[in-house]
Amino acid sequence: MLKIENLQASYGKIQALRDISFELNEGEIMSIIGANGAGKSTLMKCIIGLQRPDGGSVIYRGRPMGKSTYKTVQNGIVLVPEGRWIFPALTVEENLKLGAYIVKSPDEGLKRSFRMFPKLEERKKQRAGTLSGGEQQMLAIARGLMANPKLIMLDEPSLGLAPLIINDIMNIIKEINQQGVTVLMVEQNAKKALGIAHQACVMEQGRIVKRGSAAQLAQDESVIAAYLGGNKGGTTDHG
Amino acid sequence: MFIQQLITGLSIGSVYALMAVGYSLIYSLLNFTNFAHSVCVMVGAYVSYFFLLLVADNILAAALCSLVVAGVLSAIIEKVAYQPLLDKNVNRIYLLIAGLGIQIVGENLVIVLLDGRFHAYPTTFSSIPIKLFGISIGLIDLIILGVSSLALVLVELLIRKTKTGLAIRGAASDLNTTALMGVPVRRLITIVFLLAGLLAGLAGSFTGLKYTAYPSIGSLTTKAFISAVFGGLGSIPGAVIGAFFLGVSETMIAAYVSSSLRDMFSFVLLVVVLVIRPTGLMGKATEEKA
Repeated sequence: MLKIENLQASYGKIQALRDISFELNEGEIMSIIGANGAGKSTLMKCIIGLQRPDGGSVIYRGRPMGKSTYKTVQNGIVLVPEGRWIFPALTVEENLKLGAYIVKSPDEGLKRSFRMFPKLEERKKQRAGTLSGGEQQMLAIARGLMANPKLIMLDEPSLGLAPLIINDIMNIIKEINQQGVTVLMVEQNAKKALGIAHQACVMEQGRIVKRGSAAQLAQDESVIAAYLGGNKGGTTDHG
Repeated sequence: MFIQQLITGLSIGSVYALMAVGYSLIYSLLNFTNFAHSVCVMVGAYVSYFFLLLVADNILAAALCSLVVAGVLSAIIEKVAYQPLLDKNVNRIYLLIAGLGIQIVGENLVIVLLDGRFHAYPTTFSSIPIKLFGISIGLIDLIILGVSSLALVLVELLIRKTKTGLAIRGAASDLNTTALMGVPVRRLITIVFLLAGLLAGLAGSFTGLKYTAYPSIGSLTTKAFISAVFGGLGSIPGAVIGAFFLGVSETMIAAYVSSSLRDMFSFVLLVVVLVIRPTGLMGKATEEKA
């Protein structure tokens, strides 16, 4: 569905992505794990068109991706950015409606959002800036789904959230996937990320250093040592 | 006497508001003050003058014509002057300088192509007073107040009730996030310049009707800028409130104190606001906007 080939990108003189290649299959969840500054967010920005890559290509359903973000969204890819980036001054409902900008009517999406996230319905008239961190993350995900994407990219969905809420979010991601949406997720929380993914990559310093099924990577000695705290148990029994 | 002054003040305030909303709209999206705005006001004033001179003695039709021409001009300025700079992602100061350049070139172009004189609108309309409850009120002030208020209400409705308006409000918070929603942000910016230009054209037509058309008429936008700062740059209700406050205060000071103090009041107000409350009445601190 999505094929990344030799993608390169940089911030000024700092090379953020070096020869990234991978393929994402339709209907799967792929997790990209890695430490802070490994280039994960840059990768997502390049795919969605917020940052221009220096080289390589992003091919979506056999066609090279356009340059403008809004066209990428119209083609069915959305990004739920790191740190949520909700519109704090708009109400919860307005945030969701803006998420449905490319859709004819937001009504169906609103209904689905409120079914998935009853908390958001309670707070729909509230300014989004007043929500808690977990609620803001739910709003960001719900807003991303409003555009009826074929592929949803989630950048650090667990960032700054309490463990219980992280479990909720992971369950929601699985649910979204079961409804047929392909998921590309970037996470520092490797345990959770591998727990729900089909495929996974490990990124270090702008390179993909390991690739395979999530189950394989969860058993990999070096991955366990570097990202799973050396604790072998409990890698696949979550979510 | 007081009521008359109040109506005059409100009518001036409503014209300031038309211009101030344009400043605020553009500032809220791009965080810079569009100094080329005054060119749109000036062009609006001249378009109405020529319309009345050459086409028909109908001030509303003339104002409509000004509105369209200035709107299109504003959008062209954005496409030609600002968009290439935005593409390069330059510091906002370059946009500011480009705007100043357009302002200077615009004014002088009129002097070169036409002349530097004052052109009173060739209409009988402006001098007709009407009697209302025994008070004599300039019909022109009532029309200006009425039409301007209507335009402001329409803009508010556009921003509050339509999808484009929602996108504009989102973009005021963050352009990149708005792009992630599938909004063609570039086109949205052009639409906002068009909107600001439409209001500037209307303001220009009304200012010309009141004070005649002349090359530096656009410098009245300074007052609108003060209004927008006073109300809080980037806030549209703030700009409107600031503009009406300034219009009424100026008129009252001119009537009851001294007309030579009128402009000083505006500039002192600007300084006081910047010292005491730089975000203005309803402005948002940048942290809140982000």
